[in-house]
Amino acid sequence: MRSSGAPELCPAGPGAAMAATFFGEVVKAPCRAGTEDEEEEDEGRRETPEDRDVRQQLARKREVRLLRRQTKTSLEVSLLEKYPCSKFIIAIGNNAVAFLSSFVMNSGVWEEVGCAKLWNEWCRTTDTIHLSSTEAFCVFYHLKSNPSVFLCQCSCYVAEDQQYQWLEKVFGSCPRKNMQITILTCRHVTDYKTSESTGSLPSPFLKALKTQNFKDPVCCPLLEQPNIVHDLPAAVLSYCQVWKIPAILYLCYTDVMKLDLITVEAFKPILSTRSLKGLVKNIPQSTELLKKLMTTNEIQSNIYT
Amino acid sequence: MASRYDRAITVFSPDGHLFQVEYAQEAVKKGSTAVGIRGANIVVLGVEKKSVAKLQDERTVRKICALDDHVCMAFAGLTADARVVINRARVECQSHKLTVEDPVTVEYITRFIATLKQKYTQSNGRRPFGISALIVGFDDDGIPRLYQTDPSGTYHAWKANAIGRSAKTVREFLEKNYTEDAIASDNEAIKLAIKALLEVVQSGGKNIELAVIRRNQALKMFSAKEVELHVTEIEKEKEEAEKKKSKKSV
Repeated sequence: MRSSGAPELCPAGPGAAMAATFFGEVVKAPCRAGTEDEEEEDEGRRETPEDRDVRQQLARKREVRLLRRQTKTSLEVSLLEKYPCSKFIIAIGNNAVAFLSSFVMNSGVWEEVGCAKLWNEWCRTTDTIHLSSTEAFCVFYHLKSNPSVFLCQCSCYVAEDQQYQWLEKVFGSCPRKNMQITILTCRHVTDYKTSESTGSLPSPFLKALKTQNFKDPVCCPLLEQPNIVHDLPAAVLSYCQVWKIPAILYLCYTDVMKLDLITVEAFKPILSTRSLKGLVKNIPQSTELLKKLMTTNEIQSNIYT
Repeated sequence: MASRYDRAITVFSPDGHLFQVEYAQEAVKKGSTAVGIRGANIVVLGVEKKSVAKLQDERTVRKICALDDHVCMAFAGLTADARVVINRARVECQSHKLTVEDPVTVEYITRFIATLKQKYTQSNGRRPFGISALIVGFDDDGIPRLYQTDPSGTYHAWKANAIGRSAKTVREFLEKNYTEDAIASDNEAIKLAIKALLEVVQSGGKNIELAVIRRNQALKMFSAKEVELHVTEIEKEKEEAEKKKSKKSV
């Protein structure tokens, strides 16, 4: 029987797909979903040498490099593989960095062992090679009197694609388990999810999140669900959880993200924990130092009165 | 979750938040502290003076502004927003006087400011005012008043309140120390305001500005010397109280 309502066979061209009609004929119908032609796809997927160059250039630009600042030579192995470590304190963000600078670094002699140099869109410079010493960096120190105690001051933003590189260059691919990691960072209080209104929260306030192997007492309440941790602190904590390293993150929720005295002082309860035991000596002097740090960083602004 | 509902002012989030208004309240916390106290015969406004740049004319950096002869306000938050609100309030005060031949009541002008602020939380394309205000004054009936407004457009009467940075700490201090005795005399009310500010101000008396309105008198701004006098008095009292304590324990 002749199929009376059969549609016209349209000429098969690029961007055409096969379709079956009611009568069982296979018809090439134009496909708006893009090309399904196998040949076309292969051509599109084949990378030109220029593309490869661009991709490699971008990867080089965003590479995380760990080097000794004085000699400008790269570290051949990861930082914690080169040096044995029993305690590692990482400060991420300007308030956490200010806290460690005034309270911990002031109470001992710390020697710089390396720095992580990296570039991403958040950096304020387009020059990726000559990052000056005033640029935001990740600097690593160890205590001269006890070289297995490490400290990291990270005041730059580490992008998502660079976090894994950072972890590899710092911790290595097979980290030791007998070290304890402490991370300090800040987050804006509006990120804190709670049923109360943010106006009634006593900001700044401290919350903690620890890995399964961390057994010491915690000096503040634990972070409740559904709150999550972001960026580099989350990457480090995840890494430690996977590798069964005892680690704890102290997260300060604050309403002032720039360098602020009250936010930095919110970290003070940590001074009494085992993580910082023996590393803090002169608290009044540290408070004075902190005040000085604040005034030198104050930028005149008339926006708020 | 917040990021999907915080771009437009006119959008509620699923749990009933107006995020732009809440963020405006964060802007208020960036301003320095202001405290208001309602005494029996006096209203006091105290503010933490902002550090002025070397070449800046100090006179033009003011947190306490008169709205009329018998009403004044202190604000915390965005300076430019405050200027606009104050201008509108001042015009309204005079317009009211010309229309009904009576000066505004403190409650009327507070309601006017609050209504203005609320309009900007319901309008498309406009953002809320990023200021909170403490409005004080005396009405014709001779009763002292203190009102507080916030970016959402609410206003309430208070016996004593604080706004701006560290407002919570100051409010807690006031809750503990605002007693009938503490505000019995004008001097005591002024000292309570200064004591409350000293809890959070970083360099003591020289960073405090004070204004008072007494019944049937015009607004009076205290000079730096007068503030210093009160601060020294407070410090003396503190010392004496501590001496007494140590004597008792001996």
